[in-house]
Amino acid sequence: MREIVEIGTRLRDAAVLPDLLAASFDAFEIIRMLARSCDHRAPELFAAFMTTADAAVDGREAVTAAPALPAGGSTARASMPAADAGTDEITASLAALGALLHDRLTHSAALAAAPGDQFACAQAADAARRIHDLMARGDDDRDIR
Amino acid sequence: MTATFGDFLHPAGQHIAAAVAFRGDLPDDVRCVAVRELGRLVFALAGCFDDLPLPHDLDPAAHRPPSLDTQAVAGARIALRRAARSLRHRTTTTEDAHPVVRHLSAAADHLAAGRDLLQTHFATAPSGARTGTSYWAPAITSRPMTAALLGEIAEHARTLAPWASQLTMTGPIGSGMPAPERRILHSAIGGLWITAAAVEAAQRRHPSSDDARRLLAAIPSSFPPPRRPPGDGEPVTQLCEGIAITAERLRHAALAPARRSPPAMSASWRRGALASAITSHASEIILRTLAERASQLGTDPGIRARLHTAADAMSLAWPAWRGVACEWDILSTGAHAGSGRTAAAAEDHQAVRTTAGLGRLYLPTRLMPEGYDIPYRYTRASGPRTDALLAMYVTATSVSALVTEVLDDLAAAIDAPSTVLGARRNFENPQPGPRRHEPDRRAEPAAEPGAPPQAAQIERVLHSLQITESAMLLRAAAIDQAGSDLLAEASAKSRSRDSLTASPAQPVRQARARAVRVASDDLPRHMPNRDQQPSRHDQRTPALPATATPARPTTTLSRTGNSRSR
Repeated sequence: MREIVEIGTRLRDAAVLPDLLAASFDAFEIIRMLARSCDHRAPELFAAFMTTADAAVDGREAVTAAPALPAGGSTARASMPAADAGTDEITASLAALGALLHDRLTHSAALAAAPGDQFACAQAADAARRIHDLMARGDDDRDIR
Repeated sequence: MTATFGDFLHPAGQHIAAAVAFRGDLPDDVRCVAVRELGRLVFALAGCFDDLPLPHDLDPAAHRPPSLDTQAVAGARIALRRAARSLRHRTTTTEDAHPVVRHLSAAADHLAAGRDLLQTHFATAPSGARTGTSYWAPAITSRPMTAALLGEIAEHARTLAPWASQLTMTGPIGSGMPAPERRILHSAIGGLWITAAAVEAAQRRHPSSDDARRLLAAIPSSFPPPRRPPGDGEPVTQLCEGIAITAERLRHAALAPARRSPPAMSASWRRGALASAITSHASEIILRTLAERASQLGTDPGIRARLHTAADAMSLAWPAWRGVACEWDILSTGAHAGSGRTAAAAEDHQAVRTTAGLGRLYLPTRLMPEGYDIPYRYTRASGPRTDALLAMYVTATSVSALVTEVLDDLAAAIDAPSTVLGARRNFENPQPGPRRHEPDRRAEPAAEPGAPPQAAQIERVLHSLQITESAMLLRAAAIDQAGSDLLAEASAKSRSRDSLTASPAQPVRQARARAVRVASDDLPRHMPNRDQQPSRHDQRTPALPATATPARPTTTLSRTGNSRSR
């Protein structure tokens, strides 16, 4: 899942709010697409993947409402995970990306000047936290990074 | 435990029976109080009668003068109302009152409480119009249920009238009731007789069914039961009760208007589709597990077959709802939500259709292909895209209706507590025969001649067009009659053919299974192709593989099943 690595780098490298919001928009889209492509992989994870995709839409919609989101198109792409990619690997990647999004958006919500941006970042951070909670293993006691 | 109408209706009847069974003269003072309690009772009966829609009210589109039966029942309603007015009904009964007085008082109390229970399913608008506010309301006002309640009222009137007549005649001459009061009582007794006779005559032609009477008694109050969170070490019976309570609470919550608050419309619809997909998916797993267990236990083959059919139907439902959820991935009502009142008044599908019709569905411009230079965050969704969403709703709704029917059939076969819900759904539909979903008309027994859905259709159309020309109306009636005859003949042929080809052991199962197969053919296996308004989303929302039906469950839903709340 090269896209997850790349978007993670973009999120970490974003130095200003518009860049972070644009990267977050794409990150939520990648999560949504991956979750949708995996929801039929394991019946026991159908609900988790479906709800993750839903949370990703919430996050993307929240970011879309941020005044600081720059105009332009999304560059998000997500390839189908390889057939031999393990479900654990996919969920771990999505959980990690959710955690990173939550961390960066929470930080931005605290720093943003415009109330609209603060609210959008907080809403999107909440969606990212849900993604992490849904995808993280039950015994995952790692702090959100 | 939720109170039901039967909790009040049956005791009321028992108290009336006990009161009229009293033998012997009543003392004068007791007789006066008994007449007042009789007044309360007749007042309660008249109230129940007043709430009932008369047969003509049930079909206002008929544009016909009311039938003689309807006129007679309407007359009876007026007579009972007058009887109630004529009798004084303000009284206070003490615990040491005469048994007759106490029984009459208790009967009046029970009937009044029963009427109150029925009223919890309705609300009165400022205009005075009464509207249903619960899933039960359409069944309560259906013709069979109305007939059943009318029958109960008439039965009470028939029991009370001779007893009240006797009341005026017994006792020493020159004592007891003053002459004016006696005349009033006579007038009230007349009202009771008229009611009993009119309803009896009407029901001789259209008797109320046992099913309707049973369902009448099972009508619950329209209040959600209190939450019962699961506890540690609960036995299976308590867990089952908890599930039934939670399901009932969900039914109430689904009707809560707050669910469709205007700013969150698309989010609400998306969540609704998500919840439907997940619950259908989980239901399929449960049904397959139950079917497997039923096989191991050697359960009745008919029940096993129904479990498999239900699981198959459910395997169609969740992909359909998943499809709806995927459509909502990209569409949104944005900050331009439509009228909340309009949305709240309709089911999701209709509300989405209305919103789409108003051009209030949008998608983020960031998801449009490069080259689209739109200086806004959202752009209006194109017709093909909204059509795709609506098509998914049609499929999901249709499959859900089929699932409901199959599950109702299963519940009835195993005599589950939810059987009453299936019966209620049957009564919601004014026409006999197949219910909402008719994927295989031949699989269902045709309606009886005389009451097919098509009967009198042409004549009704002419009435609706305000055609009064008798020649045209006669021709329409002739066409309708010919159609009715043809249907009757076709039904008879179809039945005889089915009886030759179908195994008599499991006709219902075969019909349902056929319906599931036909519905399966209708179900799109791939997301609709929305190439007329491309977005990068289109290449990225994966279609569900044709073999997506889940395998047998191997583990529990541990990742999402953390919450203990119901």
